[in-house]
Parts: sequence; C-alpha cells; structure tokens
Amino acid sequence: MATATASVPQIRRRSPRIPLTYVVTLVPVAAALNIVGGYINSILHLPIFLDMIGTAVVAIVLGPWWGALVGVITNTVSAFLTGPIALPFAACNVVGALVWGYGVRNLHMGKTFIRYFILNLLVGLFVTLTAVPIYVFVFGGATGHFSDMMTAAFLAMGQNLIVSVFSSNILVSVADKLIAGFVALAIIEALPANLTFNLELIKAQKMRVILFAVIGVVIGIAVMLVAVALTKPA
Amino acid sequence: MEQTKTMAPADTEVKEGLTVGPKEGLGAGIIGLGFLALIMPWASGQIATLDFIKSDAFAILTGAIYVIGILVMISGIVVILQKPESET
Repeated sequence: MATATASVPQIRRRSPRIPLTYVVTLVPVAAALNIVGGYINSILHLPIFLDMIGTAVVAIVLGPWWGALVGVITNTVSAFLTGPIALPFAACNVVGALVWGYGVRNLHMGKTFIRYFILNLLVGLFVTLTAVPIYVFVFGGATGHFSDMMTAAFLAMGQNLIVSVFSSNILVSVADKLIAGFVALAIIEALPANLTFNLELIKAQKMRVILFAVIGVVIGIAVMLVAVALTKPA
Repeated sequence: MEQTKTMAPADTEVKEGLTVGPKEGLGAGIIGLGFLALIMPWASGQIATLDFIKSDAFAILTGAIYVIGILVMISGIVVILQKPESET
C-alpha cells in the first residue's frame, strides 16, 4: 500500500487558484473604481487620468488578463457615460494591466521599492507607446484632455505631431501610473490575506514620499523634453 | 468525520471546482478584446461625428482594429506559451 502511494505522482500547483466569488466581486468593483476616477478627472480637468487604479489592483492580485478584462470593461462603460473617445484607449488600459500583472507576478518587480517604482515607470512608457498611435492616427493629436495644451506647446516649439504627442503623453502618463501603482498598493494591503499571500509585494509607502518622487521624475522628464524641443535640428 | 465538517471555505470551493486560474483569466481577457472589436464599428462612427476629429470613420476603425489585433496576437502567443496549471 505504501509502495502504491509513493508511486503516485505528486500534483504541484504552479499558481494557486482563486475562488470565483473573489473574481466576480473584484473585477466589477475595480472597473467602477476606474470609472469614478476617470469621471472625477474629467470634471476637475486634472493633468492626469486616474482611470487605471482598479486595473493595477486586479492585474497584480488576480492576474494580468483579469486586469485586461477590467480595462476593457472600464473603457466600454466610460464610452457610454462620457462619449466614445474612451473606447480606443481601452488598448492602453489592457497594456497597462499586462505590464503590471506580468511585472509583479512573473518578473518579481514588486519585491523592492526601487523595482516597483521602475515597474510603474515602465507601465507609463508602454501605455504612452500604445496611446501615441491612437492619439495621432485615430484622433489627429487631440482629445480634449489637459495634455493637449502641452502638445500644442511642443508643436509651437517646432516639433512634429508624433514627437509632441509623445512628449506630452509621457509626462502625464508617468505621473498617473506612479500614483495609480502606489494607490493600488495601499488597496491591495486592505484586501483579504488569502488573496495576496502568494504575492511578492512591498508594503505601501507614505504618499508624501511617492509624491516627491513623482514630482521629481516629471520635472526631470519635462526639462529633458523642453531641452530636446528647443534644440534646433542641424 | 468532525475534521471534514470543519474544513475551511476556500478548501471546499477548490474541491467543488468553483475556482479560476490564469487560463480562465486569459480567456476572459480575449473575450474582452473580442467585445472591443465588436463595438468598434459603432464607436468609430460616433467618434467621426465629433467636431474636433479630422479623421473619417474608416480611418478610426482601421487604427483601432490594428491596436486590438496586436493585443489579440499577444494573447495568442500567451496561449501557446501557457504551461499546464498542475505539473506532475
């Protein structure tokens, strides 16, 4: 009997499965959080987006493709609430979910503060790389967001449309994703322990530290972009 | 027998199969992308009617479908690379 037991191959789970009830609860709540954030942003005309906090939470806790689903739900519902402009940008939300999800869960980018900070910068970069073609080829460079003013400023400095849209979007996106990433971290800490026990994730930092870091990064990128824009091509 | 009755709720759900993993997440993500592709013709028509939009509906639809198509290809690659959830 003992020999038979020993010969049975042991089943080893690669990733723990999550009860369906958590998914059914968390995905709509995350989408609602994104929609509320985006709506507040559109009312207050803030120079950020605030529509990816829920995406970050779900992508990190449940997995990247659940986060992608949250992104699609967010932008689809937003399209019916605030107009169809939000719909093509669902792709940006999906890309953000994939980078956050695979970054934390597969590449262990949530282990230390520095790694997590870099991950959020990468999310900002990849989302911008997805958003720029949508801005330029779908909307002709403007969607009515605050960043359009910065795009106009870069255009006035003599840059072409793609560079101007990229420059304005990277500034806004990096700040937005850093804030979203660290707010998501605080939300994840408040979730039940059996959802987060297998995550290699740092504890939430004090927001003042994050804000100083965000302001520093944004000022750095802005100075660099302005310097590049003012440099006349030979 | 008493020990069986006091089993944790999460363990019970695992046994009953009411759990989801990365495979189901991937499926849900692909369904979301499919829904996005389905709704884009309507959305591109609506976007084209906005005052500040210079592109026509076909160009908007083309751009959006290119982006969604790339994401679907990425999800297909993930399906190919997906390992079984339980290894022996």
